[in-house]
Amino acid sequence: MKVLICIDDTDNLESRGTGELATMLAEEIERRSWGNSDFVTRHQLLVHPDVPYTSHNSSMCFAADIDGKVLDPLIAYAGDFLQRESAVGSDPGLCVSVVEQLGEPEAAIAFGHSAKKEVLTKQAAYDMAARLGVHLSEHGGTGQGVVGALAGIGLRLGGNDGRLKGWLKIKTKDGLASVGEILAQTTLGGVRTMDGDLLDVEEMVEVESKPKAVLLEGKIYMMVSPLADGGRARWRTTPRQQLKKF
Amino acid sequence: MWLIDTQGRKEFRHGQEAYCLASDAAHICGGFRPDVEEEWVANEERSCYNCRLRRWTEDSFVCLLAV
Repeated sequence: MKVLICIDDTDNLESRGTGELATMLAEEIERRSWGNSDFVTRHQLLVHPDVPYTSHNSSMCFAADIDGKVLDPLIAYAGDFLQRESAVGSDPGLCVSVVEQLGEPEAAIAFGHSAKKEVLTKQAAYDMAARLGVHLSEHGGTGQGVVGALAGIGLRLGGNDGRLKGWLKIKTKDGLASVGEILAQTTLGGVRTMDGDLLDVEEMVEVESKPKAVLLEGKIYMMVSPLADGGRARWRTTPRQQLKKF
Repeated sequence: MWLIDTQGRKEFRHGQEAYCLASDAAHICGGFRPDVEEEWVANEERSCYNCRLRRWTEDSFVCLLAV
């Protein structure tokens, strides 16, 4: 079965990031032969004076394909893991959703989008989790991270939000690669312009260091922007600062 | 480059899109600490926008280093 696992609010100014903990969880699932884990996405939530957070307000989510009989052990392990590994002063939350058993996916997605625009309470998150039939739990502090954990599930499920943790490893020749070469080296769904057009495989791209991928329409894409001079290539990877909206 | 807000915190005056100024500020700051990579928003690694000690506000960020 496919599950989505999301964690939020596990860090403080001195600790590992929430993304690293998500990666550790994803790796542990594979190490225990519980299933196969997919990439981790970061989802930006509302920045507002009434929302407590460390230095950003984002949750980290990944999908895993697991055997149904390990669902309960996985939830128990993940909860203990957060309790143990989360930083002092953090308010960690965990959400685990079995995708095919999700009662109202559109309600989960709407909750995720709401968390990007308005201040939501823990009670609202628990009410929504009960309605959806997903696991939602807190593992220290105020437990406020349950809001972001549930929101991240909705945003990942919607498939139109978030940047992937880490960056794409792409071999180039003098900084250039064709779209075909890029696709052959990655699991990208395509190379896409900021206007939404997909590039043909023969198009050349100037690949800057540490290029990021984003989640759009349920697939992962590397975004590109037009190059003004158009000499060696017509496109370059979109600078990180223009990917903030994802 | 900085304002002291009503709570006595140091707030970046130039908002969230002043990449050159945020980079300049980080280069002359002895307290710069890069945040985890997934939270970087500026291309230049050394930028206040990529610093672990920045706390985003609705319009800009405040720096947690003591004033």
